Amino acid sequence: MAPPPGRIRVDGLGFTYRGGTRPAFHDVSLELAAGACLLVVGPSGSGKSTFALAIAGLVARDIPGELTGSLVVDGPVGVVFQDPASQLVMERVEDEIAFGLESLGWPRDAMRERIPQVLADAGLEGLERRRSQRLSGGQQQRLALAGALAPQPGILVLDEPTANLDPDGAAAFFARLRSLLSERRATIILVEHRVEEAWPLANLVLALGRDGAPIDVGPPDDVLARSGERMAAEGIWLPKDRVVPAQANASPIAAPPPDPGSPIVTVNGVSFGYERDVPVIHDLSLSIGRAERVALVGPNGGGKSTLGRLLVGLLRPDHGTVALDLAGHDPSRLKPAELARLGGYVFQDPESGFLANTVAEEVGLGLTPAEAVRVPGLMDRLGLPLDEFGSRSPYRLSGGEARRLSLAVALVRDPAVLVLDEPTFGQDRLGYDGLRQILRDRSDAGTTLVVATHDLRLVRDLDARVAEIRDGRVVHG
Amino acid sequence: MASTIDERAPKSLPDTRWRTRDIVVAAVIGVAFGVVFWAWNLAYAAADPIVAFAPWLKDLTYGVWLMPAVLAPLIIRKPGAAIFTEMVAAGLSALLGSVWGPDVLLSGFMQGAAAELVFAFTLYRSYGAITLVLAAVASAIAAFVHDWVVYYPTTDQTIQILRAVAMVISASLIAAGGSILLERSLRRTGVLDGFPD
Amino acid sequence: MIVARDLAPAQLDSLLGRTSPVLKLVISIAWLLGLATTVSAGPPLIVALVVIAAGLTLGRIPGRDLARALAPLWLAAVGLATFNTLFGAANGDPGAMTFAQLGPFRVTQAALAAGIGLGLRVAAIGAVGAVFALTTDSTRLADSLVQQAHVPERFAFGALAAYGAVPRFSEDLATLRQARRIRGLRGDWHPRLLVSLLVLAIRHGDRMAIAMDARGFGSGPRTLYRQIRWGWLDLAVAVGAVVTLVLSLATR
Repeated sequence: MAPPPGRIRVDGLGFTYRGGTRPAFHDVSLELAAGACLLVVGPSGSGKSTFALAIAGLVARDIPGELTGSLVVDGPVGVVFQDPASQLVMERVEDEIAFGLESLGWPRDAMRERIPQVLADAGLEGLERRRSQRLSGGQQQRLALAGALAPQPGILVLDEPTANLDPDGAAAFFARLRSLLSERRATIILVEHRVEEAWPLANLVLALGRDGAPIDVGPPDDVLARSGERMAAEGIWLPKDRVVPAQANASPIAAPPPDPGSPIVTVNGVSFGYERDVPVIHDLSLSIGRAERVALVGPNGGGKSTLGRLLVGLLRPDHGTVALDLAGHDPSRLKPAELARLGGYVFQDPESGFLANTVAEEVGLGLTPAEAVRVPGLMDRLGLPLDEFGSRSPYRLSGGEARRLSLAVALVRDPAVLVLDEPTFGQDRLGYDGLRQILRDRSDAGTTLVVATHDLRLVRDLDARVAEIRDGRVVHG
Repeated sequence: MASTIDERAPKSLPDTRWRTRDIVVAAVIGVAFGVVFWAWNLAYAAADPIVAFAPWLKDLTYGVWLMPAVLAPLIIRKPGAAIFTEMVAAGLSALLGSVWGPDVLLSGFMQGAAAELVFAFTLYRSYGAITLVLAAVASAIAAFVHDWVVYYPTTDQTIQILRAVAMVISASLIAAGGSILLERSLRRTGVLDGFPD
Repeated sequence: MIVARDLAPAQLDSLLGRTSPVLKLVISIAWLLGLATTVSAGPPLIVALVVIAAGLTLGRIPGRDLARALAPLWLAAVGLATFNTLFGAANGDPGAMTFAQLGPFRVTQAALAAGIGLGLRVAAIGAVGAVFALTTDSTRLADSLVQQAHVPERFAFGALAAYGAVPRFSEDLATLRQARRIRGLRGDWHPRLLVSLLVLAIRHGDRMAIAMDARGFGSGPRTLYRQIRWGWLDLAVAVGAVVTLVLSLATR
């Protein structure tokens, strides 16, 4: 008999990171009934993740700082984090599920019985011996969820669990959450940006503001009615911001680019694989015109990110050719200094491209004196004035600031072609609006934009031509 | 005002229990170095026969291989960090099937143990430049002895001495000096918050 | 780029695959130490041949995979052999018999023999390493270390979790080098890359540690889902290993 779901009561709860000047969040009070679902929303920096970790009992233990107020959590807690890769700690699927049970001292027979059950519930039956690295992102998150649920916790905390998933993976994950809630198997605290799907699951909504103070707490409709405007102003996504996918512009690639005489990137019969004999891109051909805006869409693992890197010569094709700019240069053979002037690339995770000790150094890396003159103005426009941010380490920036820095780094040379890999992942409304504006400005000034993205809202807002990349090929509309 | 008894009592021993975070971060440092060594070996494997003629050139870079044994204790500050991290880096090589096979485990252990002895000698309380250089040099000596027994038992004495000198210099500059600079850079990024200073 | 290499079921279920990883480690080190007692060419040659044959038969390693794993060995073996031949201590001994004069280097027979023996030693060590890597599953290694060598669990599984991150770190390194390129910086490699990689790695490690703690890691006595026990196979392999070493040393 599974233990019943637990209740949660929070009174004036707050947490300040050690060395922090202000609390990450503070003065949160609420009561969550057994089997109910609390949705926590807020802009970047509002402390919603910290709140979730506090409920899970993980702050002040692993994370140095001070917890104030009171927290009553009625039972053990299971946690699911945002990044699939860093929460799966065993090689194989069944061992991953066993990990939590082993840690809690379950007898082997009980484990042998429980694990197949858990896998079946999660839709992962038959995958026991599969390496978890070989699962899709969506499957990995369902595995993480299964691992958290295996010991039958009464409470489940999920911190942006679908942030890194493609729409299919996210949909499957939410379906799982829906069935958990309908079976009343756990009390759920969910931190999410994908409000269209998360909102209907919630019995209670907590909206945190930019400074960590609660904007409102209550049943979803009440909160929306009372504080909807204020939430939107703070940059929180609301359910009515949805995009209907069917409306996305889906002109087939076969259509000629706007200025047929001057394609700026031509891909011809390109094949590429990271491992020998495992191609990720198959005989792909594509033509992008000058100053066009193209969106590469498609499932994760289908090749759109790889294609983006091939376009600017960060990878070299195994077969076929890529020609960049009007002189038809092969970008993978250009010297870095020449390449940087033609192409720019914004990585999905800003931190994965940081190379310097300070923000000022990061932006200025490799620039000629003529180019360096542009830096102060650009940084001001991106909300990262050098006198405030210049001497900070790039890794100490908030998520939104880091994203803007990675943009600055790509934009400072004013490249003819700019490729961006999932630039809106995990962004709140304000971050998104800022990004969209910058991209439109650049495009109007003549930069060719190629965006690999799941975000159909962005595709619509940029009025971009869509190329769907699936299984390493372009799928004609 | 009279000083309290606490101020005159000896400092309490550093907390020796490894938190999960200590274990995983130490392991991760070992693995990160393992990945860099692997990629570097692949890139420079072609140079091996040439370098065979002037091995002390290669030995001047030996310090890089000794870094985990110095950097990990400097960051984690718990007993056993040098040995554990070196064994993790060596274990990675063994599992990936590097050219030196199980020997990497032996040399890794010796290098880690030598550094560990130095830190143990200071009761795990000193992580200043002198301690680090001593640990690096101890590690280099252990590596030298290992290489002598396994790879160079019949080599000319003068060459052996040249090797030893090159390794000690490399250890001091790269393993110790490099670790100090690396730790400083890492601290600025905020990623070491929560580890003892 | 390092990609997680899947041990095929054939190797996992093979006799060597089912042998205790700790035993395999002990054998490897024992052979290494045994071979270190002599510079004759015979012993390492025999060990190398035995281990390759064992890998192909008892380990069911496909010939092509083994060949690929052994390929880099030749360079290292030749390099070491050359070095020891040219710089052997015997070359300075006026009483030793000269084999050849190569420019400024006098090569004696003794140095040449030692050089060959040491080159073969590297080959043998490398062959043992390759067969080990191709027949050992890392999870099983961790289980073996904990259950048979009594290594503390948290360290073994902490290390295992870190190994799982190898492909991720390898990608991170590749991404950092691409970042250098797209910023117009000459040369893919730079010492500063180490800082960036370590930051990413430590962040990843922090997240793993939190996830592990969230599941109760280290909170109490741990039970075992996968059991590994000493068996007759281990005894047989151990005996075979001892016999190989004794016989090989007899040829020196």
